[in-house]
Amino acid sequence: MDKFKYIILLLFIVSIQLTEAQNISLSGYVTNKHDKKPVSNVVVKMVGHNISTTTNNTGFFKIQYKDITDPKLVTSHVGYLKKEIHIDETNIVDTLYIELAPAVLNLTEVEIIGLSDNQMPYSIEKIDLKKIESTNLSDIGGIIAKEPNIGGIRKGATGIDPVIRGFKYSQVVVQLNGGTHIEGGCPNRMDPTASHVNVNDLHNITIYKGPFALKYGPNFGGLINLETFSPRFYNKFENHVSIFIGGQTNHIGYKSGVRIFGGNSSISYTASANKNKFGNYKAGNGDIINSSSDNYNIKAGVGIRPADDHVVSLNFDRSWGRNVDFTALPMDERSDDTKIYEVSYLGTKFKNSINFIKFHAYHSDVHHKMDNKNRPFSDTVVAISRIHAMNTGARFATNFRALNGNFEVGANYENIYKDGNREKWLIMQPGLPNFTESIWNNARINNIGLFGEYQQTRGNIDWIISARTDFNSATSDPMLRLKPNGTPVYENNDTKSEFINFSFSAGLSWHINAASEISVSFGKGTRSPDMIERYIILLPIGYDPYDYLGNPDLKPETNHEIDLGYKFVNSKFGSFSASVFFSYVTDYISTVRVPPSQVMPQTKGVIGVKTFTNIDDAYLTGFEIAYNTPENHLWEVRFTSAYTTGINPLATVYIVENGNVIDEATVKNDPLPEIPPLEANIWFNYKFFKKKLVPELNIRMVAAQNQISEAWDEDSSPGFTILNIKVNYKYSDQLQVNMGVNNVLDINYYEHLNRRIIGSKTPFLEPGRLFYINLIIKL
Amino acid sequence: MYKIIFIIPTLFILFTSCSDTDRKKITYVTTGAISAYNLQYINDKNELTSTEVLPQSTQDQWVYSYIADEGEIVYVSGIYKDINSSLNIMILIDGKVYKQASNEADTLFYLTVSGTVPYD
Repeated sequence: MDKFKYIILLLFIVSIQLTEAQNISLSGYVTNKHDKKPVSNVVVKMVGHNISTTTNNTGFFKIQYKDITDPKLVTSHVGYLKKEIHIDETNIVDTLYIELAPAVLNLTEVEIIGLSDNQMPYSIEKIDLKKIESTNLSDIGGIIAKEPNIGGIRKGATGIDPVIRGFKYSQVVVQLNGGTHIEGGCPNRMDPTASHVNVNDLHNITIYKGPFALKYGPNFGGLINLETFSPRFYNKFENHVSIFIGGQTNHIGYKSGVRIFGGNSSISYTASANKNKFGNYKAGNGDIINSSSDNYNIKAGVGIRPADDHVVSLNFDRSWGRNVDFTALPMDERSDDTKIYEVSYLGTKFKNSINFIKFHAYHSDVHHKMDNKNRPFSDTVVAISRIHAMNTGARFATNFRALNGNFEVGANYENIYKDGNREKWLIMQPGLPNFTESIWNNARINNIGLFGEYQQTRGNIDWIISARTDFNSATSDPMLRLKPNGTPVYENNDTKSEFINFSFSAGLSWHINAASEISVSFGKGTRSPDMIERYIILLPIGYDPYDYLGNPDLKPETNHEIDLGYKFVNSKFGSFSASVFFSYVTDYISTVRVPPSQVMPQTKGVIGVKTFTNIDDAYLTGFEIAYNTPENHLWEVRFTSAYTTGINPLATVYIVENGNVIDEATVKNDPLPEIPPLEANIWFNYKFFKKKLVPELNIRMVAAQNQISEAWDEDSSPGFTILNIKVNYKYSDQLQVNMGVNNVLDINYYEHLNRRIIGSKTPFLEPGRLFYINLIIKL
Repeated sequence: MYKIIFIIPTLFILFTSCSDTDRKKITYVTTGAISAYNLQYINDKNELTSTEVLPQSTQDQWVYSYIADEGEIVYVSGIYKDINSSLNIMILIDGKVYKQASNEADTLFYLTVSGTVPYD
């Protein structure tokens, strides 16, 4: 597909609306309604536009904008109720005086202190509840993968593993509620973090691209924060219920859930139960793809406000996964039992300069069972893997005003534990012999980190610097694989490693005028090797047919990234943003073949053993472009386009003949594997009946991916264009119906990041035409 | 009150749909032998058990049935010492033949029929 097609299309849309507009400046003071004292750090935003500012210590703010029809300001602050102010001619000339009423605190709003996400100098994508509720997808990874320059590695019915700007697996951090981490059980990552969270419990998703957001933990290539529904407080006692029922054809199944929540100003609660169940689906060419899954969970939370501005909340989530098909992996998920415990404290409005103190602790516990019983080779060997993975940690942060800005300092702690084995039954042998092999052997990783972040707005410039240092240590019982007769195939007793990593980022946004903004960010993010890279014992886990062996001596890898961004927002033109990035990765974690003289492969069908190693460097670069028509029209057009390419300057290719490695060669500038191709999306919608009925058309154009890794024996993938239609109907605040048709033209296609069907080069096809409907009741 | 009207049926639908694993009736049948033979099989406790069968004629059947969950291993393996004998082993799941095999005059190798109870 011609890449210029997208650029021409973008220029055409942009040219429709480009007009001159007048600069208007508006200033004012924000005070507390009760004590009349100035309120600092209030975000003042122009409704429907990407224009905002923050009040200083005297409560003063100044905001500039171009000529906007029916302009409205909205204020937001963690400790005060939101207030909307209509701007008329009087306001424009006079200073505004805005009084805010103190609010009953709700935890999810804490992050608005300081620069809001849209003031950050680096790229952030937000997926709100409306978007989550309007999709038919039940896999959170699949929802995330719809965002620009984000893809998802798909191996089965669920558990799509996000790829941000070419970074994947542990290069991308996925966390829950600002700090909870979940260690999945499967060595092939069939259960990444997001797969342990039910989509119906999800309130919003924030994606921070690049290694810039450092306060949550080590960040290498990007951070995804999943925010679930938390207990919220009300001024008087209230009870609410929310019901979600969604069903679809083709990939036939349903997602459903009920949530009850309520409370008063002192105590609040939330409790939910969800069940999602899907069957196989028919691809565009009529092939039936095994893709069934069954997931259900219960979640409960309690919020307590023992004193004004001090909130403690407790959450518990228990989820089950049963019989989930992973057509591209050697095994299917037979069962997944996950428990997540969280406790949080948030204190605000202390008498000194402290904005807030926050503490978050968690424990996640995953029991994951997989088997090959639905694979042809189970006729001779039945293999069952059981993994126990735990992640325990805490985060403490305090945010305070100093040096005309906001400091946030704190510490994080994370302890990961993993143990598991594979039981093999030779079911065609007399006496039914069976033996057990270790996959992980009581492996542990500890990470203690200290972080600091400083934000300031000076004149037309918002800037932020942050740094963190991590002490990372890991150990495991001996990495040992025995033959059935007890002799060792592989043994490594030297499993300890310790690292001190330093990460740093800095960025600024220069508001050239009310409409234009340029931003630049630089970041150095270092991550230590993960459980798989350090301690996996002879198991096929990669894109290629090799047994993999962990390397406890592996060094951390470091991403040095620079981002440049430009935003233009205008009431008549709409909003346009573009960003480019360049990443230079040192000590890039890749793989190298282990000679058979050192260790022999242990899995049927693989051609050798690979271990993890650091290569000198690799680099990635790409761009994102987005355009939105103004929000004050009844019609809307949105456009996004994104592209990433990654290069390994010196890769080793193993030459295979008749299932044996016969030679190796060096390839210069080999593309990095599993990077999504150039993609562009256009959406058209029109708002009928006072915006109650909104039909939307989406054209998704994906180019062929021919930048493929020779070293990983990656296959190219063809381009495709698909058409999706949806209609959102909001009958009232209590009743909403979203319905749609995906892949209207029943195109036969697959994503480049979809793994191949196990044991073949057959692509894992996406569903053909699919109808869905979601019913949402909120009482 | 009207909120409860919505909650109760929804919860009912949710929890009734969280069904247990389907269970199947497994039947092992062996025939065809004219003299004693040894069998090893997985029993209802999921343990490997041995037994000696003493048939009177090739028509005599040894039958063992139990209830198993989806995914459980089913396994029968037999051997005889009489060169004039033969053996036919069959595994049925819910009355339908799942796998079967037979041999004749093979006193050296075990005849094994095995698999896992398929997931629906």
